[in-house]
Amino acid sequence: MQSQTRIRRWPWIAIGLSLAVAFTLSMVSPADSVQGDLVRIMYVHVPSAWLAYLAFFVTFIGSVAYLITRSLRWDRIAAASAEIGVYFTGLAIALGMTWAKPTWGVWWTWDARLTLTAIMFFVYLGYLALRRTTDDQVLRAGRASVLGVLGAIQIPLVHFSVIWWRTLHQPPSLVRPDGPAIQDPMMLAALIGGVVAFTIVYVSLMVKRIELIHLEDRKVDMESAVERPVAGEAVTAPELGASS
Amino acid sequence: MKRYWKFIIPAGIVVVVLVVMVTGLNANLVYFNTPTELGQQQAGDARLRLGGQVVPGTVIDTETGVAFDVTDGREAVSVVHTGAPQQLFQEGIGVVVEGTWDGNEFHSDSMLVKHDENYTSDDGEYDPNHPYGDESDQS
Repeated sequence: MQSQTRIRRWPWIAIGLSLAVAFTLSMVSPADSVQGDLVRIMYVHVPSAWLAYLAFFVTFIGSVAYLITRSLRWDRIAAASAEIGVYFTGLAIALGMTWAKPTWGVWWTWDARLTLTAIMFFVYLGYLALRRTTDDQVLRAGRASVLGVLGAIQIPLVHFSVIWWRTLHQPPSLVRPDGPAIQDPMMLAALIGGVVAFTIVYVSLMVKRIELIHLEDRKVDMESAVERPVAGEAVTAPELGASS
Repeated sequence: MKRYWKFIIPAGIVVVVLVVMVTGLNANLVYFNTPTELGQQQAGDARLRLGGQVVPGTVIDTETGVAFDVTDGREAVSVVHTGAPQQLFQEGIGVVVEGTWDGNEFHSDSMLVKHDENYTSDDGEYDPNHPYGDESDQS
């Protein structure tokens, strides 16, 4: 065992603090003039979607870096990030549906944004499934990084779908050429606070998840080392007294 | 043989995604027609979606639902909607209605409220007693 994996505690503290601040901001900000308290769903929905983009982009970077350097470090980063991305894509979809039912009137509709988000969700679930097709770390990293690169096409596709095509989903409120479409400073603070808090959550989860991947890989290595024959078939154990 | 899986699996997924996008999404890439586009559509039994802003002052309760005009800022189309309007339905809000176009009126039986990207807290609270909004609110 060359290196001991360090178990860090600060990520849990960082997650707790940042979520507490974001929650407070989202609760003290005023209700929307049209949709009332439903607007508060946005303070988690938008940061979740942002985290999904960020996470899948890091998966893309990790995959490209793996294919160039062939260093498993990068594959671990790509894998950890994809798991977080899938979780937050799911959260964004679930919260979006919770908001859509009382606002639009339906839980789901097949407009471009929703459809492409659903496809992105399933492609990255496929990425995680692909990682389970083998225990061989090098083989696994090779397969996954190809999909990690291809899948990233979807990030701009999902984000700009509301601008490129006419959708039921509204276009972005925060990042717009002519400034945020949110006038109330407290609403803006709640949204930006959520985005910052979720980014901190992402970094913290990444640190913990990569720790765990190190431990998992070490366990797999140790187990396969035990099962492996000592020197192949050329050496056989001595037998005492042939059976009749 | 084993090496090929690295490419076959992701390539297969990409193909499936492309097929779904081209076949399933193509018709939905444009989610609704604007009132201007509807004028160029043939009247008939084809199911269409129409989207736009509810023109203030045109909302009338009918026996079977609600009637109102929808505009994209250039053209306006009369919509006769059967069924209860959505919770957030009001004057000035975006709606997407689904139904048929007879060349004169749009007969809708399905309504979605399209929320825009603007969020405000200061121009009046939502009032359940005046669900279609107060006309004096709209400028």
